[in-house]
Amino acid sequence: MGQLGSRVGLYDAATVRVSATGTIQVMTGAHSHGQGHETVFAQVVADKLGIAEAAVEIVHGDTSKIPFGMGSYGSRSLAVCGSAMDRALDKIIAKGKKIAAHMLEAAEGDITFENGSFSVTGTDKAKSFGEIAFSAYVPHNYPLETLEPGLEETAFYDPNNFTYPAGAYLCEVEIDPDTGKVTICSFTCADDFGNVMNPMVVEGQVHGGVAQGIGQALVEHTAYDENGQLLTASYMDYAMPRADDLPFYQVDHSCVTPCSHNPLGVKGCGEAGAIGSPPAVVNAVIDALHRAGMDHVDHIDMPLTPARVWAAMQA
Amino acid sequence: MYNFEFAKAKTIADAVKALSSGDAQALGGGQTLLPTMKQRLAAPTTLVSLNAIPEMIGVCVNDAGEVCIGGATTHATVAREAAAHYPALAALASHIGDPAVRNRGTIGGSLANNDPSACYPAAALGSGAVIKTNARDIAADDYFLGMFTTALDEGEIITEVRFPVPQKANYQKFVQPASRFALVGVYVAKYAGGVRVAVTGAASDGVFRWAEAEAALSADFAATALDALAVPGNDMIADLHGSADYRAHLVKVMTKRAVAAAA
Repeated sequence: MGQLGSRVGLYDAATVRVSATGTIQVMTGAHSHGQGHETVFAQVVADKLGIAEAAVEIVHGDTSKIPFGMGSYGSRSLAVCGSAMDRALDKIIAKGKKIAAHMLEAAEGDITFENGSFSVTGTDKAKSFGEIAFSAYVPHNYPLETLEPGLEETAFYDPNNFTYPAGAYLCEVEIDPDTGKVTICSFTCADDFGNVMNPMVVEGQVHGGVAQGIGQALVEHTAYDENGQLLTASYMDYAMPRADDLPFYQVDHSCVTPCSHNPLGVKGCGEAGAIGSPPAVVNAVIDALHRAGMDHVDHIDMPLTPARVWAAMQA
Repeated sequence: MYNFEFAKAKTIADAVKALSSGDAQALGGGQTLLPTMKQRLAAPTTLVSLNAIPEMIGVCVNDAGEVCIGGATTHATVAREAAAHYPALAALASHIGDPAVRNRGTIGGSLANNDPSACYPAAALGSGAVIKTNARDIAADDYFLGMFTTALDEGEIITEVRFPVPQKANYQKFVQPASRFALVGVYVAKYAGGVRVAVTGAASDGVFRWAEAEAALSADFAATALDALAVPGNDMIADLHGSADYRAHLVKVMTKRAVAAAA
């Protein structure tokens, strides 16, 4: 990633700690403050190991417990930290195969891991993930020179490229010709985020992003007077978007082009809503004014408050 | 917030007495006073609550057919209890602030404060209401004296507001996007003797009557009667939410909408 201009490795890190009873703690460098990591990261682990999501605990935010990571920003948590988790799980499975080979008296290369079970390829000889975890902490006759007890792995993952989600946003507005007030009638988002781990979480991220973007487009404004005095120092003057400022959204992610360079095939989704919505709203307003014969209006600075839209209509 | 003493009056006489000492301050619903005190912009030594005086709470209709509202009646109560007698007034009350504000804020508090963007001053002036205090009756036309300024004397309490009920009335509010106070609010009321039009939110001196519109609507109560009129922008508020010209324009738009909704 450093070669692409960031000048530092934009890695993230995960430690997967399997307990003797087969429950799992994952310590992540990325932090969840509403994005749903606890749900989605646990899903990734549970899917990969063929165990219940309830057996997975995601630990984040406590710097005395977690590995050093680069954090949650830039729509990167699942693509980067999730990939680090995937790499750490690869190491867990690799070590599990060594333990299984020892227990099943087979060659390590003959062990297959599938659906939570380590088996000798082509036979019905198998050990469950839980049995391997227990054996890792209660080892019997381990060849200690080549097989350490314990089952805990850390991976640092530095992506070799950005992810490239693509989307199209469609906004329909009505403008009150007497007051300049803009009302959003419908809003549709179609995004290709690559593989989607949890559709509901992804849809929620898009909803939140679109709300933020509509706020930026229509109401939010940090204003100063000519002396540098902040005029919008409270919510009496700084307009936050509220539920009744926003429409219901149609969200689609049926087009799936997996990312080609990370192990999960996922792309960033957190910022898409906030990036796609402001230009869609402003273009819709300009288009509506043109359709009403006001061809002279090609640009209005955000936020498109009623007063600004009305003023543009008068010019 | 600085420390203060708190007195809860049970009668109007008690409240008047408590307010006569030092720099005591009457407390209605506290929707303006308490935030002001929290910001340390006001520091009264004593607050005298008017919210537990039974004779100042409630909505009734007197023998003259006027809707009488106790000064300490909340917006939520007005919205509920005045609906059958004076629907336009109840509708106005039901759109002040949000439910938390409507359950605390009072009509007397709003009129005593006379915020230039408040809704109630438009209803009182637009209805030609009488503001009754512990000392006298004040006609709405004599009551509003400018931004945050009223005819009330020091320590004088609004005990009741009497609204003559019009044949038709409506209030239209165009909200400021952040606070959702009235950027411009217009109250239109048609009485047998003529039409009253009161405008809040727009002018730097607070609520005012639009005389030209009243004359035009008294002759012809239709939105089109206002077509030829225009409000000058000179005395309008100009701020980041709207220029003076925009507010002046909105006064006409909202007046027409109020007439159309009332007719």
